[in-house]
Amino acid sequence: MNAFPSHQLPLHDADAERDADQALREHAGQARHWHLADLFAGDPERFQRLSLSACGLLADFSKQRLDPATLDKLRGLATARGLDAWMRCLFEGGEVNWTEGRAAMHWRLREPDRAEGEDDPVRDQLARMERMVTRILSGQWRGCEGDAITDVVNMGVGGSDLGPLMASVALHEHRPDRGKRPRLHFVSSMDGSQIAPLLDELNPATTLIVLSSKSFTTVDTLSNAATARYWLEQAFPDRNGAVLRCHFIGVSAMPERMSEWGIHEDNQLLFWEWVGGRYSLWSTIGLPIALTIGMDGFRELLAGAHDLDRHFREAPWEANLPVLMGLIDVWNLNYLDITARAVLPYDGRLKHWPAYVEQLEMESNGKSVDRDGELVDYHTCPVIWGEVGPNAQHAFYQLLHQGTQPVACEFIAAARHGRNGNSAELQPLEEQHTLTLANCLAQSRLLALGDRALEEGGDTPAYKRYRGNQPSTTLLMDELTPYHLGALVALYEHKVFVQAVLWGINPFDQWGVEMGKKIAKDMIRVLENGEGSDGLDASTRALAGYVRQQQT
Amino acid sequence: MRIDMFGDTLCAMVTAAAFAQSGHRVRWWLPPGRVARALDDGRVLYQEPGLAELVTAQRRAGRLDCRTDEPGLADPNGEPAVSEPAPVVCLALQPGDQDRAGHLADWAGRGGARLLINQSVFPVGSTEELQARLREQGAATPVVCLPDTLQEGMALSSFTRPHHLLLGCDDREAEVLMREILRPYNRRRDVLQVMQPREAEFTKVAISGMLATRLSYMNDMALLAEELGVDIDVIRQGVGSDPRIGEAYLYAGCGFGGPGFSRDVMNLTDTLRRRRVGAELLEQVLQINERQKEVLFRKFWRHYEGEVDRRRVTLWGAAFKPGSDRVDNGPALRLIEALWAQGVDVHVHDPLALPELAAWARDKGTLTLHDDPYDAARDSDAMMLVTEWKAYWGPDWDDLKAAMRTPLILDGRNIYDPAYVTRQGFTYYGIGRS
Repeated sequence: MNAFPSHQLPLHDADAERDADQALREHAGQARHWHLADLFAGDPERFQRLSLSACGLLADFSKQRLDPATLDKLRGLATARGLDAWMRCLFEGGEVNWTEGRAAMHWRLREPDRAEGEDDPVRDQLARMERMVTRILSGQWRGCEGDAITDVVNMGVGGSDLGPLMASVALHEHRPDRGKRPRLHFVSSMDGSQIAPLLDELNPATTLIVLSSKSFTTVDTLSNAATARYWLEQAFPDRNGAVLRCHFIGVSAMPERMSEWGIHEDNQLLFWEWVGGRYSLWSTIGLPIALTIGMDGFRELLAGAHDLDRHFREAPWEANLPVLMGLIDVWNLNYLDITARAVLPYDGRLKHWPAYVEQLEMESNGKSVDRDGELVDYHTCPVIWGEVGPNAQHAFYQLLHQGTQPVACEFIAAARHGRNGNSAELQPLEEQHTLTLANCLAQSRLLALGDRALEEGGDTPAYKRYRGNQPSTTLLMDELTPYHLGALVALYEHKVFVQAVLWGINPFDQWGVEMGKKIAKDMIRVLENGEGSDGLDASTRALAGYVRQQQT
Repeated sequence: MRIDMFGDTLCAMVTAAAFAQSGHRVRWWLPPGRVARALDDGRVLYQEPGLAELVTAQRRAGRLDCRTDEPGLADPNGEPAVSEPAPVVCLALQPGDQDRAGHLADWAGRGGARLLINQSVFPVGSTEELQARLREQGAATPVVCLPDTLQEGMALSSFTRPHHLLLGCDDREAEVLMREILRPYNRRRDVLQVMQPREAEFTKVAISGMLATRLSYMNDMALLAEELGVDIDVIRQGVGSDPRIGEAYLYAGCGFGGPGFSRDVMNLTDTLRRRRVGAELLEQVLQINERQKEVLFRKFWRHYEGEVDRRRVTLWGAAFKPGSDRVDNGPALRLIEALWAQGVDVHVHDPLALPELAAWARDKGTLTLHDDPYDAARDSDAMMLVTEWKAYWGPDWDDLKAAMRTPLILDGRNIYDPAYVTRQGFTYYGIGRS
C-alpha cells in the first residue's frame, strides 16, 4: 500500500525554488508599501478576485496585503517545493511522518464505509463506538449498581482532549435524534485541580469514565484515571470487578496497555499509529462528540471533512481553499515578516477553537529542521493566539489597532444561526447574533482600512488615529453544523500540511514535547528526596530546593 | 331517560352499565378496538367484580345497546346526523382524545341535547372549553364534569355506592338534572360535592398526585429499610394504622403505571410546569417511580455483578396491575428494555396481558411468551414477580425450583414470605427487605 516509504519521499526542485523565492522577495519589496485602503480603492472587483467558497465555507482573502499576482508567485513556490507530489504522498499513505516512519492518514477516518465483507477497521471501530453511544444515550449503559449512566468524564490531554472538547462545545445545540445525552465533563490537567471538584459533585453509581490516550502511557491522563479509579473502588468496595467493567471505557492505539491497566476488552475502542493525536477527533477519540450530537451527527461531521478532503485533492490550486490559506500564511510570515497571528471566532460556541488551532498549528509546524536534517534559515510557524472575538475586543484588540506589531488576523463566524423552537421567544437571540456579526465585520474593516474606514476629518490627534493595514482573512460558515465544523477543521489540517511542505518540515511529529515528558520524570526524584539535584543548573537547583523547603 | 355514552374506558363501561341498571335506556357508542371486539364476542374485557355480569344482563334486558357504528357526527358540512343525540350525552373518552370530544360536543349541541357530561380525564379546564365551544356555536346545552374517581379493582361498587362524588357544574338546571340521574347512588346521605368544573377536574388529578406521592414516598423508605435491615412491610403496617394517614397506597413495589393513574400524575405535572408554578415535588415523585420500575433489574444486575449477557430471565406478570390486560407505562416495559439492552433472553407469563405486551414488543425486540408460568421459568436465571396476580401468590415451589437454572426470586410486589422462600432453597430479594 505504501508508494512512498520514507526514503522515497518527494524531492523539491532547488533551482526552481530559489527562483520562485527570489521573485516573491522582489514582489514583497513593493507589497510592503501597499496599504489595504489603496488596494480596495484601486480594484472594485477585489472581493470577487480574492474570495472563494467550498463545502459551505466562504473564505475572503481580499483583506490580505496581496494581489492576484502574489498568489501566482506563491503557487510557483509551491510547485517548486513539490506540493502536488506531497499531496499524493499524503493521500496514498506514504510515510509523510518521516522521523517516525509513519503515514498520516487522518483523512482515511472520514472516508465512506467500505462494503460489508471488505476489511475495514475504521468502519468496525465506528460501529463499536456506535453501539456504546446507543447504549449510553438510551440509558442502558449501567453502573455497577445497575443504575443508568448520567455523567461521562473524558480524561485525556492534548489531542485526546482539545479536539473532542472543542467540537462538543461547538455543537452542543445539535442534540442526538434519539435518547438523552449524558452530562459531559473534560478532565485534562495533571494537577488534579479539575478532577477534585468534579468528583465532589458526581455520583459514582452513575458516572462513566472515558480514558483517552493514544499511547496509554500519558502521565497526565493516567494520574487522573488512578484518582477516578480509587474514588469508584472506595464507593463500591465489594464490587471490584464490576467497577472496571461498568465504569471505564478506554480509547487508545495500544490495546495491550489498556488491558494491562484493567480496561475490559468489551470496553476498548481502538485507533491506529497512523492517526496523529492532534488529528484524531475523527477516530474513536471523538466518542464525547458522538455522545453530544449522536452518531448521525458524528457521521455528518465526518462527511463535511471528507468533502473538504476531496476539495483539497481535486480543486485546482487557484480555487483550493487549504492551498490558498497555507500560501497566504507563508506570504505573511516569510515575505511580509508578520510573525504573529490572532484567531478570532465571533461565536461563543467556538470558544475552544483558538486553543485547538494553537495546538494543531504550533505543535505541527513549530519545527526548524528540514527533510535533509538541516536547520532552516527562515521562520516556520508564527506565534498563534486567540480568543472569542467580542471578548478579545475588550482585551488585546488595542494592540491590534494601535500597537507596533503587525498581526495577521483570522475572523471566523457563522452567517446564520439556525435555531429550533419558539421564534418569538428567541427574537432577542437573533438580534444578538446580528450584533456579533456586525462587530466581526466592523473590526476587520477598521483593522484593514484604519482611519479611512471612518468619516472624520484630518485634525484628529495622533493618539486617536488608526494606522490600519493589518491583514486578515474572514471565514464564514453558512451555519455552525456538524458538517460545517467537519469541513472547517479539515481545512485547517490540510492548510497546516501545505505550509509544512513549503517550509520543508515534518508536521506530524512532536519531538519537542516528548523530551519535556522525559525530563519531568527525573525531576520528580529531585523534588521527592533531592536525588540528582547536584547535576542541575543553579536556577533549577535553587527552585527545587525552595519548593522542598516550603513543603517540609 | 335516554342516554348516549361515548368511549371505551372502564369509566364508560361502568357508567353505561350502572345507568342501564337504574332503568335508563343507554346507547353505548364504542370506537373500534379491543373493548368493542370483546363485546362483539360476548366477552367483557375489564375484569372488575360484578361488571361482566351486569353488562351482559343489561344488554339482555335491552337497556344497554352497544353500538360500534357512528352516529353520523363526522360530517363537517352540517348535514343532518344519522342519529339525533339522546337528551343526555356522556363522554368517557381516552385521555388525549380532546378533538373527538369537541366533535361530539358539537353534535350534541346541534341536536339540542339537554346535558353533556364529561367524564374523560382531560387537562384541567377542558370541560369549560367544551362549554365555551358550544356557547360560541349558539348551542344551549350545558356541560358538566363528573370526574372518573373509580377505584380500580372495585370499580362498579365505587360508582354505585360512592364514598364521595365530585360534580363540576355551574348551571342550576344542569345540577337539578344531574342530581336526578345520580339519585340512585346518592341515597344514604348526600355525598355529592358540587363545585366549578375546573375545580372538579383539579380535585381529581390532585387526588391522583397525592396517592402517587404516597407510593413514591414509601419506595424511598423501602431503600432505607434495606439499608437498615428491616422489612418495609412492618413499617407500612405501623404507618398505615395511624388514622391521620390510613392504609391505602402505602405498598412499596416496583413502580406504578397504567393508562389512568400515572397518566393523571404526568398531566398534572405538565400543567404545573406550563403554568410556571414548578412541579418539583411531583417531578421527584415520577422520577422515583421511574427509578423504581428498574429496581428489579438493578437487584438482578448486582446479583450477577453486571455479567448478565445471554442469561435467561422470567417475568411473572406484565400487566400494570392484576385484573388488567394493559401494560402501558408499567414496570414490565422498562424492565424488558433494560434486559434486552444487556443481551438477556426474556420469557414472560401473564394471564391476560400477553397480547398487549406482544403488540408493544413488535419491532422492538424478541420476547418468548408462555401460557404456563412454570414453562416460562424453565432454565431461567431469575424470576421477577412484576404483577401480583392471585395465581402467583402460592406457587408450587418444588416445581419452580426444578424448572429454574438458578433459583433466584426477585419479588417486585412483596407477596412472598422471605424466610419461607429462602427455606425452599431460593435466593430472595424483595422491595425494602434485606
